[in-house]
Amino acid sequence: MTADPGPSRGGRRRNDEGGEPVKISQDAALGSFFVAVGAVGLLVARDYPFGTANRMGPGYFPLIISSLLVLTGVAILMRARFGSAEAIAGIRWKPLAIVSCAVFLFGALVEKLGLPLAVLLLVVGAATASVKFRLDWKATAGAAAFSVVCAVAFVDLLGVPMPLAGSWLHAVGF
Amino acid sequence: MDIFDGLMLGLSTATAFSNFVYCFLGVLLGTAVGVLPGLGPVATISMLLPFTFGLPVDTALIMLAGIFYGTQYGGSTTAILMNLPGEASSVVTTLDGHEMAKQGKAGRALAAAAIGSFFAGTVGTLFIAIAAPLLAGLALTFGPAEYFSLIVLGLVTSMVLTSGSLLTAFGMALLGVLLGMVGTDINSGAARYTFGTPNLLDGLNFVVVATGVFGLGDVLVNLENERSRMASIAPVSSLFPTREDWRRMVGPILRGTGIGVVLGVLPGAGVLLASFSAYAMEKKVSRHPEEFGKGAIEGVAAPESANNAAAQTCFIPMLTLGLPGTATMALMIGALVVQGVQPGPEILSQQPSLFWGLVVSMWIGNVMLLFLNLPLVGMWAKLISVPYHFLFPMICVFMAIGVYSINNSVFDVELMVLFGLLGYFFRKVGAEPAPLILALILGPMAEEYLRRTLLLSHGDATVFFTSPVSLGTLIVAALLLLSIVSPAFRRVREEGLQEAE
Repeated sequence: MTADPGPSRGGRRRNDEGGEPVKISQDAALGSFFVAVGAVGLLVARDYPFGTANRMGPGYFPLIISSLLVLTGVAILMRARFGSAEAIAGIRWKPLAIVSCAVFLFGALVEKLGLPLAVLLLVVGAATASVKFRLDWKATAGAAAFSVVCAVAFVDLLGVPMPLAGSWLHAVGF
Repeated sequence: MDIFDGLMLGLSTATAFSNFVYCFLGVLLGTAVGVLPGLGPVATISMLLPFTFGLPVDTALIMLAGIFYGTQYGGSTTAILMNLPGEASSVVTTLDGHEMAKQGKAGRALAAAAIGSFFAGTVGTLFIAIAAPLLAGLALTFGPAEYFSLIVLGLVTSMVLTSGSLLTAFGMALLGVLLGMVGTDINSGAARYTFGTPNLLDGLNFVVVATGVFGLGDVLVNLENERSRMASIAPVSSLFPTREDWRRMVGPILRGTGIGVVLGVLPGAGVLLASFSAYAMEKKVSRHPEEFGKGAIEGVAAPESANNAAAQTCFIPMLTLGLPGTATMALMIGALVVQGVQPGPEILSQQPSLFWGLVVSMWIGNVMLLFLNLPLVGMWAKLISVPYHFLFPMICVFMAIGVYSINNSVFDVELMVLFGLLGYFFRKVGAEPAPLILALILGPMAEEYLRRTLLLSHGDATVFFTSPVSLGTLIVAALLLLSIVSPAFRRVREEGLQEAE
């Protein structure tokens, strides 16, 4: 769903870190989001018994809340259309994607590689998102030391049940 | 058990060696992470939660309280030295605090904040000791209708006190309630919004959502403005307030404490309201209001006292009613539930040592903050100056490990990433996530209390207006909503909250 970007200044300006201009206004994006989530909520809640006010079923509250959410979303969309809508400032996709992927990978790999390696991967991976990132031995050594400290602190001292060497390492004979 | 016995019991719990040590550790860790710029208290506390998981419940709660106060203190240090408020309620501190720092009076500003906070903390603790048992007694007479109305009031307050439009805040609260529905319905046993995955049967873990939206979301937003977020740190000079400072501080500290103690009990966003009101009040009663905003020590002492007093008394509704007033309190409830404690009016009678131990260690935590952290301020200033590109990868690690350790679940880590992206989206579209977070905890409670109310009244909703407590609560909520329409209040709200961004 698109809407008029309005006469805002921020919309087309490219920021100095290379952000892409986005032409959707804040309200249009948020309104669409609310309508979409509310609609999914409504669709799913149709399958739950509604019950009566006297005996609320599991569908009673979700149905009311989802409907209200859709209405709120529509109202916000109206505001985007007719009110003074502010455009979304430029989005930098690179750090967004890198950091989310790094954390996601940590989750996916921590039980397979073990905590220290997963931490090392996350630290170095996330760090590449920074504009100031450069690969040097000091930073790498720091990251390695940090992984070891994390392993000792969380697994040995705090007893978080994470493997130090994961299943993949066991498979190759560690 | 009267208050004196209670305090004695609390003293013996809080001074047990391990509790004392963990309280200290909590304060230290809370301050250390709290001073880091770009990390609000919610993100800080959720990051540090795993440190408390392995502990016995009273020790864990005491450490959590220590973390909570440390975070508050750390936040005001960053606000004063760097002009970077970690949360909305320390925004007013930056106005005069950072101005003082620029004039070379950073140490005195920090001291004013610490002394004010300590005094307010002491009064706040006493207030909890007196008021909490009374409120818990009262709460035992509350039926589901009263609880439901109180929840409505809490949500309305948090919507009114959020920057941005009311409509947006309303939508965020609804979204929070809807997210709270995910999982098994406690009444019917039906699995709702689980989309077929067993991982969602227990519902969305509150800590996971909060860490994602506030912690990871903040990191993602901060990385976007990496170049522009360079800030200079004011050097810390002498920590001793002059005789003139003392003279000017006493009144603001007393008034700020009074305001904070009262407003903190309000559900919604009492802490924020307290620091703003205290600042506004000092500006009104001061004989030289023109100095405010240019480094008036009153403008540091009053909001910091109010802030801390309210931070203390907002434990009251959390502990006695089980209703969180702020996002941070919601997080504390989340942590308690992880520990297997359900806060509510029974906590006082069933777990007195837990309750009183917490009350006393709050005070001890405040003493530690005053006598240990003030001398360490040089160290904190060094911590602040760690560049963000070294900091954020480590923050990511702590968040990921923390979230994993709640349920030892990889799924939770992945869920956190999703909510981190959502948190980023919310900031980009100018929607503040505080109402969502509060509604996530309050939503399921609201459903349950509504269900019980209607069951008792045979589907008759007028019961909300016939119970005096419920009616009064709803009237306050309605007045708050109306007040936002009034132009005068609207202006104050916009002025106050705009700067919070």
